[in-house]
Amino acid sequence: MIRMENVTKVYKGEVLALQNASCEVQRGEFVFLVGPSGSGKSTFMRLLNKEEKPDRGRVFVAGRDIGKLPSWKVPFLRRNIGCVFQDFKLLPNKTVVQNVAFALEVIGSPRSVIKSKVPAILELVGLSKKMHNYPDELSGGEQQRVSIARAFVNRPLILLADEPTGNLDPNTSLGIMTLLDRINRTGTTVVMATHDRSIVDKMRRRVVELDRGQIVRDQSRGVYE
Amino acid sequence: MNLKLDYVLRETASNFRRNITLTLATIITVTISLTLLGAALLFGDAVDNATVRWKDGVEFIVFTEPEISPELEADIRRHLEDSPEVSGFTYIDKDEAYAEVQDLLGDSPELVEVITPERLPASFRVKPSDTLPERVDELAAAFRAQPGVARVVTASETIRAIEDLSSGLRQRVIIIAIVLLVAAAVLILNTIRMALFSRRRDIEVMKLVGATNWFIRVPFMFEGLVQGLIGGVIAFPLIWLTNNFFSVINDDVTLELLRGFTVDPSRVWTLGFQMVGLGAIVGTVGSGIAVTRFLDT
Repeated sequence: MIRMENVTKVYKGEVLALQNASCEVQRGEFVFLVGPSGSGKSTFMRLLNKEEKPDRGRVFVAGRDIGKLPSWKVPFLRRNIGCVFQDFKLLPNKTVVQNVAFALEVIGSPRSVIKSKVPAILELVGLSKKMHNYPDELSGGEQQRVSIARAFVNRPLILLADEPTGNLDPNTSLGIMTLLDRINRTGTTVVMATHDRSIVDKMRRRVVELDRGQIVRDQSRGVYE
Repeated sequence: MNLKLDYVLRETASNFRRNITLTLATIITVTISLTLLGAALLFGDAVDNATVRWKDGVEFIVFTEPEISPELEADIRRHLEDSPEVSGFTYIDKDEAYAEVQDLLGDSPELVEVITPERLPASFRVKPSDTLPERVDELAAAFRAQPGVARVVTASETIRAIEDLSSGLRQRVIIIAIVLLVAAAVLILNTIRMALFSRRRDIEVMKLVGATNWFIRVPFMFEGLVQGLIGGVIAFPLIWLTNNFFSVINDDVTLELLRGFTVDPSRVWTLGFQMVGLGAIVGTVGSGIAVTRFLDT
């Protein structure tokens, strides 16, 4: 599903974010990306949805070399990749249901599809009762659930989560992990960057460790360190 | 692309509400630019209409009697040819005079209808070799006494001044027009960019979930279009007011020689619609460019 071949990314000619990194992720896998800040985790993710271009090497998503993708097709690549962030990136002036529907609206989904899919996904993340609340009326965990609903409503092949539990307390984090695990079980490939040792140790999934831009460990059913 | 009208309308409406001060600033700028541009173009037209007879160094016009005999007309022609103070002249016969009137009043057929070529006098447009006002007056007086001449009209200094203005006016109007339009476009660009800045989060999310650039761009372009249109529509009556000011000049008897300093109403209408269209184009293109630059960075 994802393959990186000898990828190097240097910012502004001096900051080495990734160095000759190669990695392959199969369909349906759940992968933790771990490593200290600045080790290249975010760059790894940004390369996958072509927010960044590699300086050297090639990136394949769903069997296609995305370096060869013309820029007008990039939006269509992104429709297959859901993204979740530490800071949720919800639109504050839209309600929960509007935030999720927005993701379908802007890719031109018919209204009938939006009407059926949005309540279903909110049911899945357990927010049916708060559909018409605004983000600032929700707890952090609930906001992250909305953000996951938005990323997953379009049933992407891949879900990228960049420290999704970074702002949440341990209990809430566990709830989010259960949700991501359920999404993974539907066949969605999940790549999650995290600093959360207890979560990684508890889940016992594949762990890829980055250090100063290099992949220093790749372990199935691994632990944080 | 699968853009939906209700989506575009909803986004545009919410942008208008959220950035009401910026929207007003843009509309006012467009209005002012288009009004000035329209007024400048109308003024150019009016000057042209008023001075059409006084082109190319013509200093006075000898109108013949309507029923002049060919012999008398030949006498006048000979007098002009023989006189050393005359460097050149053009003969305008009744038909040519009629064609000119048709040009001037072309958009008012009811006026053209009551005029027939027979009712218009033929005339000689005379270019003297010496354009000093006193010498021109002397020369004109000599022709006024000639049999068969109905009247002689000289270009007054006022007309001369306006004519001087007119020669450079076209170019100047075009330069002013370009500067004003660029100013309007830059302001629209800036307004949209500020609107975009306040909505960068929305755009970030749109890009993230895979909205195409056109999908992001179109609501903003529509917003620019509406702003340009509103600006143009407000400019329309202001351009009419400018034209009314011309008729005030025209009604002033002391400015008799400025008669013809007027623009046909249908020309004002055309110009008004052109300004509305221009506003729409400037608004749409300006915001399109603003969004594109935002999307690229």
